[in-house]
Amino acid sequence: MSRWLLRGYLALIYLLLYLPILVLVVFAFNDNRSAYSWGGFSWRWFEALFNNRNLMDAALNSLLLAASTATLTMIIGTLTAVALQRYRFRGKAALQGMLFVVMMSPEIVMAISLLALFILLGMQLGFVSLLLAHITFCLPFVVITVYAQLSGFGNRLMEAARDLGASEWQTLRTVLLPMIWPALLAGWLLGFTLSLDDVVVSTFMTGPGFDVLPLRIYSMVRIGLSPEVNALGALLLLLSLVSLMLSHLILTRKRS
Amino acid sequence: MIRSAKGLLGALTLAAAVVLAGCSKEPEQVLYLYNWSEYMPQEVLDDFQAETGIRVAYTTYDSNEAMYARLRLLDDSNAYDLAVPSTYYVNKMRNEGLLQPIDKSKLTHFANLDPHLLGQNFDPENRFSVPYLWGSTGMAVNGAAVSTEGVTGWADLWDPQYKGRVLLTNDVREVFHIGLRVLGYSGNSTNEQEIAAAYEKLRELMPSVRAFNSDAPRMPYLEGEADIGLIWNGEAVMAQEELPELVYVYPEEGAVIWVDNFVIPKNARNVEAAHKFIDYVLQPEVAARISEEIGYATPNLPARELLPPEVRENRTSYPADEDLVNAEFQSDVGEALLVYERYWELLKAGH
Amino acid sequence: MLTRLFKPLFDLKAPFRSGVLWLIWGWLILLVLLPNLLVIGVSFLERDPQDFIRFSVSLDNYQRLFDPLYLGVFSRSLYMAVMATVLCLAIGYPFAWGVSRVAPRWRPLLMFLLIVPFWTNSLVRTYAIKVLLAGNGLINSFLIDIGLISQPLQLLYTEGAVIIGLIYVLLPFMILPLYSVFEQLREDLLAASADLGASRWRTFRHVVIPMTMPGVIAGCLLVLLPAMGMFYIADVLGGSRVLLVGNVIKSQFLDARDWPFGAAASVMLTVAMALLLLAYWQSVRRVRQQVAL
Repeated sequence: MSRWLLRGYLALIYLLLYLPILVLVVFAFNDNRSAYSWGGFSWRWFEALFNNRNLMDAALNSLLLAASTATLTMIIGTLTAVALQRYRFRGKAALQGMLFVVMMSPEIVMAISLLALFILLGMQLGFVSLLLAHITFCLPFVVITVYAQLSGFGNRLMEAARDLGASEWQTLRTVLLPMIWPALLAGWLLGFTLSLDDVVVSTFMTGPGFDVLPLRIYSMVRIGLSPEVNALGALLLLLSLVSLMLSHLILTRKRS
Repeated sequence: MIRSAKGLLGALTLAAAVVLAGCSKEPEQVLYLYNWSEYMPQEVLDDFQAETGIRVAYTTYDSNEAMYARLRLLDDSNAYDLAVPSTYYVNKMRNEGLLQPIDKSKLTHFANLDPHLLGQNFDPENRFSVPYLWGSTGMAVNGAAVSTEGVTGWADLWDPQYKGRVLLTNDVREVFHIGLRVLGYSGNSTNEQEIAAAYEKLRELMPSVRAFNSDAPRMPYLEGEADIGLIWNGEAVMAQEELPELVYVYPEEGAVIWVDNFVIPKNARNVEAAHKFIDYVLQPEVAARISEEIGYATPNLPARELLPPEVRENRTSYPADEDLVNAEFQSDVGEALLVYERYWELLKAGH
Repeated sequence: MLTRLFKPLFDLKAPFRSGVLWLIWGWLILLVLLPNLLVIGVSFLERDPQDFIRFSVSLDNYQRLFDPLYLGVFSRSLYMAVMATVLCLAIGYPFAWGVSRVAPRWRPLLMFLLIVPFWTNSLVRTYAIKVLLAGNGLINSFLIDIGLISQPLQLLYTEGAVIIGLIYVLLPFMILPLYSVFEQLREDLLAASADLGASRWRTFRHVVIPMTMPGVIAGCLLVLLPAMGMFYIADVLGGSRVLLVGNVIKSQFLDARDWPFGAAASVMLTVAMALLLLAYWQSVRRVRQQVAL
């Protein structure tokens, strides 16, 4: 009895989780402008989306930003995880503490603190400021992902490589990285998604020269009129579906 | 093998990123326009680009305060080329040295502008501003949900039958205008006691307020969340396309009249393009099209001639004189703005 | 002590190592420690109408925060965050339990289905909720069509709407840690408990709950901590009537230009979070002691 109750419950929750999204996607094909009455099937909002030059530019900017963030965070995060795992140095606790603080504090706290810093330094608000901010808040997540995988590996292989005369960098490159690359990929994807989805930090860090997609979506959503938002949502859903499936395939292929 | 493939991928990504970053700095000219949301038809921007080759990067704000704060933040480094503040903010920004003079010799169509809207006290010689659109803030009543009979003025908002169904714009001056007028004071009052009294009166209204919305004030009416409240006249005109029963009322205590103006921030990068854009919008056909599409009144006299009669005679867009009895032009309140802002904070923080 | 701290940075025999340490320390100090200290510093200054801050120290900002009006905003914000957390737990706990009971080959698929909405842009999903909850929206239209109500319910622009929005965006953060502890739940302990004659309820109370407690606490933290700062949810679903602490901070920085006051509010938020984290540490220690027994 309870098994079916449990399964029914799961089904219900999935339904509730997907209902808003399904509504969104369905109305993306609505010929009618209003989100509250159906007017027939149409692709017009997708067309309008692609014709919206400002939106497309913002999307491109965001993809560029997300890719840069993911790559740089993957590098810095991996190095941090390696350092935490393998090196002995004082202040490890402080380092871990700071990473923990970044991960746990609400994004808005980080956003205003970085805004204050950048204004103080007289930095221009745009791509660079956004990039630095994004890397900072993605860092703990990547560090944790890589660290978790690192902990599973003994140091013996690394020690053997060292004994054979390899330098630290060579050891890392030839021995460690091939072993942990699923974690690196996972970290990259995580950084990419977090950056692409970020509204809070972008609200504070942005400047007129560099428009980002989440802020465009934000103003479209706040005005709340055009089903272009729905079309955009449908596309983003598709994107997340595809990227998740891809990562799943890559990770499971590695295991076999 | 995996390692080198991964290394290759990483290098490619970085390379692509660098190339893309370089690509985005095309030699194409860009105009950074910072405007109110729902305040410029996209076609105008597209046509401008087709005609001049200058692309318009369009960002929006929902209040003068947000625009001002953002411009202040960008003061030293990058900046917008054009912004569209309301009357009293033109004055404020002018006094603080945030604007650069507009070269009227570059504006071939400047003479089209209605002289009644020029030379106002917020910019006596229009050295720093050129009027874009003017309009009023009045009352909206959703005839499909509540009766429009007997709704004549701001005081009706306090009627208990509208509890939880009132919409206000997210604008400190406009909301306080209501409070001040209902008590018989001027909406441009600089007297702290009067402002405090208006605050107390508005506090009584708060339980009735459903939401504050300056992104698109017509939306809560269309969504069925509000039945009565504040709205800008152009928003009302746009709303009536979907909800014909929405009525725009000029309140008897006096609506707010404002003018939004193009200004060029001091650090604008593409001043040439800014002037070209202003001149483009000053053409009668363009101005007429803007007014028709978004429902606000154009200060451009030849443009008004071009408007179809149903637009020109629409009293929501173009009020008759009797509508404007007791209406007040929104003017600068100087230092008192801080007093308003302090009470506004308290009003919004209260429950 | 400090020299020992800095020694690895200058160890010329391991240039790679010291380079890495420079990078990491530099990054975290410049972009985490320094900005947070700045914010704390700014919170003790005064506002300047022109230049954002004036260099005169004052406790005014903190005094203003303790004004009943702002305490009210804070406490309502906390209430919404706590409600969202509690409801996420109520929904997520049976969910994680359910998924862990399903045949192992289906579990990855189920978790995949959970994560897909999560990886879609959260703003767009919040907008979807707005469409559902509006007066003319689907829920009201449906209820009116089937005759359950005659007037639309006021669902949008309420605290409830914001709570629903928070739950919708943050639920996966609750479920993922819970799922991971349920996965690790040792079948042999459950079997042993049953063999010893404990009823299912007793097994649940005395075995399952303590063993899943770390997941519960992690999940609660991952929902509660961000919730108070998610101003965009309050913007879209709250109509600027319902405010989270994040909205207050944002408007101080981007509208009212009262940076010191905004900084003070931010510090208060951080302090509140730190207290919650402290409570977390204490309870984790206590749980570890209990489980070890």
